[in-house]
Amino acid sequence: MFSTGFKYFIGVTVLSVVALIMSLFVLDQVALAGVAISMLIVVTALLAGIAVVTRDGQTKTSTPELSKDLTTKSIWPLVTSIGVVLLALGLVISSLVFFSGVIVLLAALAEWMVKSWSERSSRDASYNSSARKRLLNPIEFPVLAALGLGVVIYSFSRIMLTVNKSIGASLFIVFGLVVLITGILFAVKPNMKRSLVVAICVLGAVGIFVAGIISASTGLREDLVIAKSESHEHPECGAERSEHFDKLAEGNLSLRSSVDATIELVDGKLTARIVGFNKPQNSVTIRRSTATNFIFHNLDAKEYRLVADLGNRAVAEPEGKTEKNLVCTQLTAQGAEQALVLKIDKPATVGTSYILSVPGIEGQSIELVVP
Amino acid sequence: MNHSQRHSNLKTRVASVLLVTSKKYQKIFGVAMATMFAAGCAQNAPQDTWQPKGPNAKIIDDLQQPVFAVAGIIGLIVAVAIIYVVFKYKDRGQAIPEQTHGKPALEITLTIIPALILAVVAVFTFGAIFKLAKTDDTEMIINVTGQQWWWEYDYPAQNEFGINQPIISSGQLVMPVGTKVLLRETSRDVIHSYWIPALNGKRDAVPGRVQTLRLEADAPGLFAGQCTEFCGLSHANMRMEAIALSKADFAKWVANQQAAYVAPAKDSLAQQGEAVFLNQCVRCHQVNGLLRADGTPAIAAPDENVWSGAAPNLTHLMSRNTFAGATFDLLSKQCRDEVWNAPSDEIGAKYLAGVTEDCLNQKDLRAWLRNAPAMKPMYANPTQLTATGGKYRGMPYLALSEDDISKLVAYLLTLK
Repeated sequence: MFSTGFKYFIGVTVLSVVALIMSLFVLDQVALAGVAISMLIVVTALLAGIAVVTRDGQTKTSTPELSKDLTTKSIWPLVTSIGVVLLALGLVISSLVFFSGVIVLLAALAEWMVKSWSERSSRDASYNSSARKRLLNPIEFPVLAALGLGVVIYSFSRIMLTVNKSIGASLFIVFGLVVLITGILFAVKPNMKRSLVVAICVLGAVGIFVAGIISASTGLREDLVIAKSESHEHPECGAERSEHFDKLAEGNLSLRSSVDATIELVDGKLTARIVGFNKPQNSVTIRRSTATNFIFHNLDAKEYRLVADLGNRAVAEPEGKTEKNLVCTQLTAQGAEQALVLKIDKPATVGTSYILSVPGIEGQSIELVVP
Repeated sequence: MNHSQRHSNLKTRVASVLLVTSKKYQKIFGVAMATMFAAGCAQNAPQDTWQPKGPNAKIIDDLQQPVFAVAGIIGLIVAVAIIYVVFKYKDRGQAIPEQTHGKPALEITLTIIPALILAVVAVFTFGAIFKLAKTDDTEMIINVTGQQWWWEYDYPAQNEFGINQPIISSGQLVMPVGTKVLLRETSRDVIHSYWIPALNGKRDAVPGRVQTLRLEADAPGLFAGQCTEFCGLSHANMRMEAIALSKADFAKWVANQQAAYVAPAKDSLAQQGEAVFLNQCVRCHQVNGLLRADGTPAIAAPDENVWSGAAPNLTHLMSRNTFAGATFDLLSKQCRDEVWNAPSDEIGAKYLAGVTEDCLNQKDLRAWLRNAPAMKPMYANPTQLTATGGKYRGMPYLALSEDDISKLVAYLLTLK
């Protein structure tokens, strides 16, 4: 009468009802939890109903005779215990170890559960093994492949961060060519020995992995170390100090998708192209306390920088003194772009205004209006 | 009694209980279903998605009406089929019939039909999406900024509408009818979503991004909306209203918003309220033109006190009908009903009348000033502000005396 599925779902339903009642007493604000548990009750009750009506979708009147002594040695209890240890250590050491433990524990429990189930599914050991593979291989293979690829890619990135910039470019080309040629070789020689294919792939992966470890222990190349110590905030509005900072690095996708206005310098004229406005503007309204992204697009012949003049600001010493509050892009080459992020908390004082200008271009400015 | 006889008796008992139960509750079930169905015919539903009041909402409506009809018919067919199968083949102890697998012709047909339906829907959907994404025909720009839990509107200078200095407001978006308005949305804290169902679909306001949304109203009217992206404790209280005025009325509204600050009469209760405002409220709330005792402009510093960095600008507060994120009415119920139920051609005059002393909803405004967090859930407990570096999310409890509240109410009434 009551199928296994029904018992399971009705059990979850009953426990959910208990949880709902308890939450009414325990939680201060039960609204969100109450809605979630109520939905769980509705769904599991529905599933219980379907399970009992359809007899768990069972289509066979008899089940194969169960095996008794076909269990094999299993590594999963060991892995599970490692997961538990990682979990406990993670609570003390770091969240990274904790979540690694969670992943190991869940994976081991899933593997263990399916293995146990498959070993009892029939009296035929080979059938049991194939049942396990049918269920888990579609998950295991992509996950292991992703992990393997991740290790190779990470190792390769360590190599690229260690070697000289120009050598890195050459290395990238060579690596690409090797992958391409190997792929062509495998394609034109479909009868190649499987062991040989595996050996080539493993050797390549291990080679990159070892080189990655060596590179990581060697450390970043010098210019990257220096660039790390340089400010990326463009505070310098005077002589350029950053030598190794990549001047085009900020023209990336995330900035381009969130730009508020593009400030263009063309033939000595400065204009603002603001999202939503159909014509170029000579003033931009900036909302208070809101990070606003600008792109400075230099279409003029020489290198220029965009400077935001945000009035005066107090200095730490001497007390009561102020200095010009300037925010700048770096020098931007012809045709290049630089980002400028402004966050202004208060409107300009009476009789003054915030402006964007380009040193070296006289008589051109964009007013920044903060209502 | 053997096992099969016991099983059969049990099934008979269960079946008879189900029969009685179904008969007993048949009428109640029927009434409940009819009530739910009838609820769809509600007249007083200001956020009804089936009553477009502008061309953009009409584009969506023209798409959703046929799609809903087709989906409804398909849904009905599927529901009837499931119910039929469940009752016809339910477990009565009968033998399980022979199981077959694979009907290629049927399976292909049942795949192609929905695919074709979806393809047709997709063609019209893409058409609607592109129409709604157009910005090259924009006539007016309004910046819309979301923060926990209210909306700010600022109108950049646009001389063709008489806006020669930025206008800033909150809670109610005022726009001229028959004008293609483009909202430039963003957020100061978390993701919000702007939605006035009668005028267009919803658009997320995302921190660090500017997203656009077209609005246009066919006729003067008031249109309700609310934030549709869960944004924290008072998400349900983050409302907004769009007010569409005739072009002449909109010009009057613009002129009023740009009018200079008028200080309260000397020695009046309102003047004492101005002092209380300068002492307490100006830390977060800006009133343009308000001067301190030394003659310097009073510049609010919400960035130093509020997590989002902003608090509603209260300049011309009494030209709006709502406060606290449009959660509460500044107008008494009777006066509000007069505005909301006015004929389209009279709405402008009634709205522009603003909030008079007779029409002021004193009860809610005083309660708000007395203890705002008690009126609208906000993270305003001073002992629980560690996560926000000591800054409030929402208006805190200010411990104002009843005397101060009366003075403040008198002062706020002057902000026409």
